[in-house]
Formats: sequence, structure tokens, C-alpha cells
Amino acid sequence: MAGPQGIALRLTGHQAADTAAALVSRLHELGRRVECIDRESTEKVGTGAGFMCRLLARNGVIVIVTEPDIQLDCENCEVALDPNDTPEFAAEKVLDTLAEKGLVALELDDYSPEEEEQVRQRLSDLGYIE
Amino acid sequence: MSDIRRVMVIGLDCATPQFVFGSQRFDLPNLRALAEAGCWGRLESCHPPITVPAWACMTSSRDPGALGVYGFRNRKDHSYDAMFTANSTAIKVPRVWDLLSRAGKKVAVLGVPQTFPVRPVNGWLVSGFLAPDTNADYTYPKSLKTELTEAIGEYIIDVKDFRTNDKERLLQRVHELMENRFDAARYLVKNKPWDFFMMVEMGVDRLHHGFWKYCDRDHPAYAPGNPFEHAIRDFYQAVDRRIGELLACTDEHTAVLVVSDHGARAMHGGICVNQWLINEGLLTLAAPPSGRARIEDCEIDWSRTKVWSSGGYYARVFLNVEGREPRGVIPAAEYQAFRAELAARIEAMTDPDGKPLGNRALIPDETYQTVNGVAPDLIVYFGDLSWRSVGAVGFDSIYTFENDTGPDDANHDYHGIFIMKTPTGDNGAELKGLHLMDVAPTILQLMGVDAPNDFQGRPITAR
Repeated sequence: MAGPQGIALRLTGHQAADTAAALVSRLHELGRRVECIDRESTEKVGTGAGFMCRLLARNGVIVIVTEPDIQLDCENCEVALDPNDTPEFAAEKVLDTLAEKGLVALELDDYSPEEEEQVRQRLSDLGYIE
Repeated sequence: MSDIRRVMVIGLDCATPQFVFGSQRFDLPNLRALAEAGCWGRLESCHPPITVPAWACMTSSRDPGALGVYGFRNRKDHSYDAMFTANSTAIKVPRVWDLLSRAGKKVAVLGVPQTFPVRPVNGWLVSGFLAPDTNADYTYPKSLKTELTEAIGEYIIDVKDFRTNDKERLLQRVHELMENRFDAARYLVKNKPWDFFMMVEMGVDRLHHGFWKYCDRDHPAYAPGNPFEHAIRDFYQAVDRRIGELLACTDEHTAVLVVSDHGARAMHGGICVNQWLINEGLLTLAAPPSGRARIEDCEIDWSRTKVWSSGGYYARVFLNVEGREPRGVIPAAEYQAFRAELAARIEAMTDPDGKPLGNRALIPDETYQTVNGVAPDLIVYFGDLSWRSVGAVGFDSIYTFENDTGPDDANHDYHGIFIMKTPTGDNGAELKGLHLMDVAPTILQLMGVDAPNDFQGRPITAR
């Protein structure tokens, strides 16, 4: 059975490293396998970094690259960050793009049944409802 | 508008014009200074004038019909018991901070109703009182929860144990809520690089509901010289002082708005709406209740029921329509005529002395531009909002002067407040005809961001 599809993305511009860190954290929360390829990991792998990114992506990993010199060999895999965005919000925008591509599912958590009853009781106490 | 670099919006849930602008106005030097240097007016609320959906209407510039949110609890579908609480997931359109985030502005949002579960913004968000408790993730980013707790102590979601006769303790808790909210506001305003800041303080609303009869000489239960006679005045003045502290954190390039979602008025009693429907032969219970009971806890004989209702500060009246509800009895072809006749009967109701109550029965498709979701068939204001709607049954009369849920002696009113001071100033102009849906386009205009075409309001200027 095929697992989730991967992709390799390069973040460029303002606060790319911080945005990558925020994105890795959110992707982990969403249960996705993710790797961040930065300068340190590039130095370890050397010229094979691009190949490694593509290999990981083919195997369902979302690869976040912040190094400019790695050859990703794919279309629409460059994400230019808006300098006005916080790293967390920039990460959410990337997630929205991944969701549009069908690579992640973004579901907003709603109340659990217990929480819903807790809130309903409070609204009743406050007089808004019965 | 070129001098404006930041916009601060201070929301005071239920702040009512008569105490801020009118003949009963309190001495509120900071609000008065803002109004005198800017512009001000009464701000018409939405229908119903209730916290949910009012703040969402204000911040999205859409009416409840467009939002598909008609109150805190809404029908999921046309079954009899599937309901949902309208939290942030119910709002399907962007609110002003979403639009500003997308435009690259940094936003800080605090305590605005219907922001839980939190959604990402370009900045910081602390959700309002629809968060279940402080164990929940009520901030964006998540790390803000710890940061805020370290700065101000535990964030207070809302007043606990609101239905109490221990008014001394209740008053203390309402003050604690307000102080806590302004502590959080001051922290965000001073420590985050925001372009747009918006907060909503809920204490004013809780205060009105808990203390109105002690302060309003025209309320039937008012007792001169009672120990809480000045509780509302003192609270407004405490809020005004905290607003002054926030204003001291702004500069001459900050536009400031102070707004409320609705006003308040005396509540004289309750109309037992389902009891009235039973008396009128429109609602039939399978078995009479042994005492007072919530309608949700009664077995309804749907084959002999045409209408039922939910209580609250207004009534949501539902018709049992053939082909729409599972066991509907009103033929679909007769729906419009039946609803019109029912509205007329409700509006003809009289008070215990036989005088007209002045009820209003609103028809959603005549009230809103569009009607999304499952709207009530009628939205009813008893006594033009001077009586609440009691949904429970088992009463001897349709009138009650006891509250079904505990002490409460204020209802909501149709107008809130609007004060705006921009760097250019407007010389204290009083503005007329303002609507709560005008607030979001005003904010966007101040910040130089285009408003969506489907906004229903228009920017407020000193016109």
C-alpha cells in the first residue's frame, strides 16, 4: 500500500532557518515524516545532498531545505518567504500550500465531547443558552 | 491615513451607550478624551445582538446569515437534537486579523470570542472564553501560553460560578477577570511588535447581568442604598483606568478604536416560550413534566407538535415542517403562511397586565442578505428585549420573575459603543448610522489594506 507522498522544498529569504524549524515541528504534529537539510547536514553529505533529498521525498518524507546550493531538480519547489511574516505564520502558509497539493491534511481540532459539554454548561450558567 | 502605522482595537463586551455617552454617563476620562479628540457614536448590533455571533459579524463584516451562525448553539441539520457550539470552526470566512496577516501585518489578538480552537495568525493570538479551560491549547503560537503565564499568572478564561447569590464574591471575580485581561493586553502591547492589536474584555457583560438591578433605579427590583448601588459605575471607571494604561503604550501614529458588540438594558422577567406554545396547542409533550424541566429533557410528541423553541436572551423558534424535519407536520406548502401567522401571534402577546409586550419576531430570510446553515424559523425578542426567553416547561404561567438559570437582571440591547481616534483627529464628531459590520472595513482602510468585495459594512470616517 502506498504511504503518504513526499516532497522536497527549499525555503529562501527572511528567517528561512527559523521557518524551517517551525515547519518541522508542525509537520511532526501532523504525523508526517520530515527532514530538514541545512548547512550542517549538507557538509556531512557533500555533493550527494541533492540526491539524498530526492530519495527521501520519493519515499514519503517531506524534506525542507534551507541551503541554496543543493540541486532539487523539481518544479515549484522553491518557496520565497515574506519578510513580514513571523516564522510560525510563514510555516503555516507553506502548510497551506502542501495541503493544496494534497500532501498534508489540515484539520482544525474541535471540542472533544467532554469539552463541548463543559462549554455548553458554562454558556448555560452565563444565561446565553439553557 | 498616511500617518497611521498601527491600529489598536479595545473591545468591551456589552459596554452600553447610556453609560459612556448618554445622560447616565459615568466619569470616564480616558474614553471621553478619545471621543473628544476623535469621533464616536452608537454602534448598531446584528440580529441577535448577542456575543456570538456579534463579534464574528464585526470582525468579518458579514451578518449572521452569511456566517450561518445564529447564536452560541446552532442546529447541525434538521433533526431534532443535533446541535453544535459555534466556536472558531464555525466561522468559514476570514476575519480582519486573517486579512491583515495575509497582507504581512503583525497582529496580536486577545480574548475575542469564537477564536478557539486557535488558528494561525501572523503574530500572536490568545483565544476567548469558548476555550474549555486553561489545559487546552488556547494560544497561537503554543509557546505563548507559557510565556503569558510566566508574565501575568494564569490566564482567566471567564468568571467561574457566575450563578451565585454571593454578589460580593462575584463582583471580586468579575474584577479579577477584567484585570487579568488587561494585564495580558499590556504584556502583548509592550512586548510584541504588532501592527494590529485587538482585545475583548468580557467583564462588562458579566457585570451587567450580575448587578443591573442594584444600580438601575428604574429596575423593578432596585433597592435604594443597597451595597452594590455603584458597582457598575465603579467597574466602568476601573476599565477606563486600564484603558488609559494601554493608551500610554501607544504613540501618535496609532489609531485607537473602542467598540462593543451590543448594549444592555433592564430585564423585567422571562417569557416561558415553550409553556406558551403548549398552552396554544402548538407543542405537545408525550408526558407532562413532574416539575420544571428543560425542554431538551422532555419527550416531545412530534406528531402533535408544530413549533418548539430554545431559550436564552432571545428565543429561537423552530417549526416542524413536513419533508424537512424527520416527523414534520406542517405541510411545506403552508410553511410561509404558518410562519407569518405565528409571528403575528407572538407579536400580539401581552404582559401580565394585559398590555402589549412589544415582542419582535424576525424572519431570517427577511433579516439577512443570505441564510446559510440551519437558521431558526423565527428569532424572537420578548418585550423588545426587556424579557428573556425561558425554554423550560412546567410553569403555572407563561410569565416568570425567577430566572431559569439563576440571578440575572439585564438583557442585551441593540446598540453598543463606537469611539475612534486617529492621528489626524476628528474634533469629537458624533456619528450616526454606524453598524458593527462597519468596523472591519474601517480597520482595513486605516491600515491601507483592501477589503473583500463581499464585506457588508463600509468604512467609518467622520462623515
